[in-house]
Amino acid sequence: MIQLEPVNLKKQRRLAVTWGITFLILFPLLAILGLIMRLGQGELIKLSLTNFYAFMTLHGLGMAGLLFSMAFAAIWYLIGTRFAELNIRIGYFIFFTILIGLTGLTIGTLIGKFGPGWYMLYPLPVKNPTWVSWSIETSIISIVILGIGWLTGILHVLFSLSKEYRGFKNLLGWQYLRKKRGPKKELPPVVLITTISLIPGIMGFMAGITLMAMYLLQSFKSVLSFDPLLLKNMTFFFIHTLVNITLYLSVGWVHVLLPEFTGRVWRTSKVQVCAWNATFFLILFAYFHHLYMDFVQPLAMQYAGQIAYYLSSIPATTIVMFGVVVQLYHSKIKWGVIPLMFLLGMAGWAIGGFAALVDSTIAVNKILHNTLWVPAHFHTYTLMGIVLFILGFLFYLFPAKNNQQEDKVANAGFWIFVTGSYGFLLMFYLGGLSSIPRSYARYTGMGIESMHARAVGLSQVSIAFIILLFIGLFIMTFSLLAKLQRQRGDVN
Amino acid sequence: MSQFIAFMMLQGFVGYISLAATLIIVLVVIFLIATSAKNDDESSVEHKVSKIRGRYVFGLSVILAISLFISLRFLPYPRFQGKADEVVTVVGIQWDWEMAHGISNKTPHEFFGRNEITLPVNKRIKFIVTSDDVTHNFGIYNSKGVLLTQTQAMPQYNNELQYIFSQKGKYTILCLEYCGLVHPFMTGTIDVQ
Repeated sequence: MIQLEPVNLKKQRRLAVTWGITFLILFPLLAILGLIMRLGQGELIKLSLTNFYAFMTLHGLGMAGLLFSMAFAAIWYLIGTRFAELNIRIGYFIFFTILIGLTGLTIGTLIGKFGPGWYMLYPLPVKNPTWVSWSIETSIISIVILGIGWLTGILHVLFSLSKEYRGFKNLLGWQYLRKKRGPKKELPPVVLITTISLIPGIMGFMAGITLMAMYLLQSFKSVLSFDPLLLKNMTFFFIHTLVNITLYLSVGWVHVLLPEFTGRVWRTSKVQVCAWNATFFLILFAYFHHLYMDFVQPLAMQYAGQIAYYLSSIPATTIVMFGVVVQLYHSKIKWGVIPLMFLLGMAGWAIGGFAALVDSTIAVNKILHNTLWVPAHFHTYTLMGIVLFILGFLFYLFPAKNNQQEDKVANAGFWIFVTGSYGFLLMFYLGGLSSIPRSYARYTGMGIESMHARAVGLSQVSIAFIILLFIGLFIMTFSLLAKLQRQRGDVN
Repeated sequence: MSQFIAFMMLQGFVGYISLAATLIIVLVVIFLIATSAKNDDESSVEHKVSKIRGRYVFGLSVILAISLFISLRFLPYPRFQGKADEVVTVVGIQWDWEMAHGISNKTPHEFFGRNEITLPVNKRIKFIVTSDDVTHNFGIYNSKGVLLTQTQAMPQYNNELQYIFSQKGKYTILCLEYCGLVHPFMTGTIDVQ
């Protein structure tokens, strides 16, 4: 643990609060795009194809970027106030870089109608585009700007931690593997998880920036052509790693904050070190499952994809989930909104993770790939996993004098949000089981009448649940902002 | 019919197993909340949990090994398929499917086919699938809207997909990879006789 000067602590806190407020503004705005898309699919509003796909692109890219940024900001705050000194100027540099990147993406998609989808599979963004050419360059440069911001932050955090814990080997927990001597300095689980997540993050972002550079080159010189299979591998390595490490980072701060409610210690152990080091490699190989339907992909990679994904469930459940059980079982915890968010966040991760595991089975993937099952599972572990962890962190960050457990408003908002979210997700899952394709702006052109009726019906039902989700979200946001206001009053 | 039932069973199996897993997770959550009012010594909880964890790891490893062993025997890749009775060349273009009998010796750009094709029942059909522009996905649906099989249609590459239509009737091809604005209208038809 480090001891920060109160003035520096205040600065780090202000940065985290700024991030929190930014998240509370941007998250509902990006979510509204999702609601509009479901309204269009449900045939309740007329939404042009151009707008649908521009919204889909911004919703996906914006959410993936925002969630990672917020997760990174939370980890930055916890590490910067407890485990290693972090430069506040770099913190603000990242904040403004990300704001610029997100603004550029918004301009590219909403004004330029850039709409190749959030993972923009090569060569769609640059081949026969139906969006104006400046929107390609604006959006791609914006993604590069995001990448530069994130890479700067990651490198700063890793080098600061490395200095504090005397080397990368110690950050990876290898000192725990020595037979006789234990570690000289205890490694908090959050530091281990952050390291394990951020190193693949560097590789993923480097792949992403290289990919964007290739897109830019082709956008300027249309005669250029790249290997679509290679670029597809790079794309999924980039985006899968981004989403994967967002989840792991958020699991990281649960290791710090949940013990404050249970009064129990969550220490790094030898088993944990082994499991997380194994996870490091599994993060790198897990993206292979996105390419099962590319039959020309080398067979060894297809096998490795399924095996890696299956194996990843062992450390995830045995170390993290059982760690949560050790924390909570017979702990006499008082169930406020924060521990509830962490517990249900774990459940969301497990439910979405299981659905992903099913889809990562090659024999099953051929009837689920690119159906609504895919957005179903990734929305589960983002909305009911990462977002709950983030909200839990924000409730922790914005405490007021009154007791968390007594905050009935926040609790009510939380349960409404969870009910709405699971209802919304269930419609996606049922859509996937009904073979309804994902990324369809309209269901009128499929030529299968029964399927059209099913798809429209599920979209319409999901809208009711999305509205519920928004009501819950607004109640929680109101509660959070009221706490922040009270806290400011307390300080003054 | 048997193949249709098999696929319906697969989708049903996915649904039931996911529901069962979700129920188990929900029960664990309820159990943890319901039992949290009691107070136990941390080391005794750790001891109890570590015992269960050991059994869980063993059980999970066995289940995963069995699942891998079974599922990896049913891969859709050409190496694991038999000799085809008929070959069809398929080229995806924004936003249509072009299909023709036989192996094409033309480039995807020069290739000409129709978005309707007639194929025989109970014969092993090999689809050689590629694209002339961006990545598409060749997904075959039966008349009830059940996805039967699929492969990506990628420029510069040929993906070979094999399928035996065990029922006569109309099958629909949908694009399952977002390929631009008119993506949801990119369809084709297979008439199996």
